[in-house]
Amino acid sequence: MSAPHSNPLEHPEVRQASTWRYLAGFAATIVLMQAALTVTLRQHLPYTEYTLTIAGLALASLLAQAALFFGLDISRAQIWKSVSLVLTVPLFILSVGLTVWMFHSLMQRTMIMPQNMAQPTMLQ
Amino acid sequence: MATQAAPGAGTRLFHPHFEGHDQISARTLGFWLYMLSDALLFTGLFLAYAVLNNPMGAAGGPIATQIVNPVEGMWQTYAVLGSVAAYSLATVALKKGSMVGVMAGIVISILLALVFLGYEVHDLMGLMAQGHGPDSSGFLSAFFVLIATHGLHMVFGILWMIVMLVQIPTLGFSPNVVARLLNLRMFWQFQATVWVLVYVYVYMIGAF
Repeated sequence: MSAPHSNPLEHPEVRQASTWRYLAGFAATIVLMQAALTVTLRQHLPYTEYTLTIAGLALASLLAQAALFFGLDISRAQIWKSVSLVLTVPLFILSVGLTVWMFHSLMQRTMIMPQNMAQPTMLQ
Repeated sequence: MATQAAPGAGTRLFHPHFEGHDQISARTLGFWLYMLSDALLFTGLFLAYAVLNNPMGAAGGPIATQIVNPVEGMWQTYAVLGSVAAYSLATVALKKGSMVGVMAGIVISILLALVFLGYEVHDLMGLMAQGHGPDSSGFLSAFFVLIATHGLHMVFGILWMIVMLVQIPTLGFSPNVVARLLNLRMFWQFQATVWVLVYVYVYMIGAF
């Protein structure tokens, strides 16, 4: 956090606003999303390569937004936002990773297959 | 040397007018932490969607490949990013102390956000008209909740902007108003971040 300012317009988070950074953030995200749309519509990649390509473009877009829109860096004004984000990212990864792992083979491990359902019951 | 009383039940941990506190930074950091917890909420919704996006979750109804259109989603992407850029540029006008510039940026941002919401409502109403409402299947419940939760965030952002359009001319650029404008900038940029994830995961990978 930064030192207090008597004039709120002199605050570092107000001074941080930048026309070129916001326009660059807008342009970078649009270009990356347009590229992802083109890859999607062509459908020339196998599914695994396709998802990796799209995930890479999405990650690049998120990084561009973090740097250009949110202005995250290690400056005195922004350091705690950057640190809290870095500490939260593992929570996202754990939530997503562990849930995907749990549900990846849910059907095979919890659902009774139709052929097994022909077992005689206690009433028969 | 001044003596300091031992901390007790009556100790105030934060005094809103204490000169040593940076009121604006304290508020923006607090709001940032709220947004990180909001992002975890979206993580849960994405996971529910991912788990249910299969024929069993669809219960005989459609799955993502049959209901999403990535080309239409790109128009929404233009609208939401344009709205975020317009609001962000409004804060460049704030830096210059231009009340007219800030309010113009907010108005443009609201209009583009309404375009985005128009697409979203049209999509969801169209699905419901075809009998594919949120109560039709587990997949459609997850789809509607994910899309509508983001849409609700956009609605609250628009309401927040309307409040700021009233407060800016009446209160001026006071510390409270400036802190609210900075928090709104983070909130609005966060909507673009969430939308990119929705667009890529639901509208693109879902359509592949």
